[in-house]
Amino acid sequence: MSHLPSLVFYAMSAALILTAIGVVTMRSVFYSAVSLVAALTVVAGLFLLYGADFLGAAQVLVYIGGIMIIMLFVVMLSQRPHDSMERQTNDQWFRALCLALVIGISLVRGFRIFINQMVSTVVPVPTSASLGRLLLGDMLLPFETVSLILLAALVGAVLFGQDKKS
Amino acid sequence: MTLYHGLALSGIVFSIGVYGVLTRRNVLGILMSIELMFNAANIALVVFNRYLHPGNLWGQGFVLFVITVAAAEAVVGLSLVLAIYRNLKSVYTENMNLLHG
Repeated sequence: MSHLPSLVFYAMSAALILTAIGVVTMRSVFYSAVSLVAALTVVAGLFLLYGADFLGAAQVLVYIGGIMIIMLFVVMLSQRPHDSMERQTNDQWFRALCLALVIGISLVRGFRIFINQMVSTVVPVPTSASLGRLLLGDMLLPFETVSLILLAALVGAVLFGQDKKS
Repeated sequence: MTLYHGLALSGIVFSIGVYGVLTRRNVLGILMSIELMFNAANIALVVFNRYLHPGNLWGQGFVLFVITVAAAEAVVGLSLVLAIYRNLKSVYTENMNLLHG
């Protein structure tokens, strides 16, 4: 039974990498948005696996329920019939692939300093209550600031969204 | 499933996001790749919080702020994409080379 979390982790990692590759390589933008929904769901599962239960719920509610729905709306509003015939990548894809490989390999190799790191073996406990206490305690200033950011985004979206002629 | 495995997964997903940002012609595809990079950073924060500082929750609180700011960014970005599409009738980046529509 002790292997079960590792097995779940490896299955989720494989699913996340496959869906992420789908997001960046799918020909149709609609399909890559659906693939991104799958990737975000797997990330929510990873949060749950690492004991961050509130973050898993927030990921499903905010990302999948909010951001992705808006994104799918915009994808469907801005698609034209001949889009599916056009190439979706630019001419620089080989250089971009090399750069992404360099970044990925250096990140993965750089993280090797943590292989022998002493890690805590404390069993995670549900975090919602203590996270709420942290947000309204030590993190009160950023918590209030982010509400201003949300208000500014709301006003900005209305401003950019309205039709100039009307 | 150790600290290193979670961080390596985060690095791999981040580099896939970098590839998507650099190669996509469609603005919506670029925005989606940016969301992928946010999520890679979030995974790294949660993994650090779980294995290095399990007693306090600052890493998870930071992830909440990242999710909030990502929502704000997506809303403004998508309304900008719609405004540009209304003017140019295109969502491809090579057509967006003028500052005034």
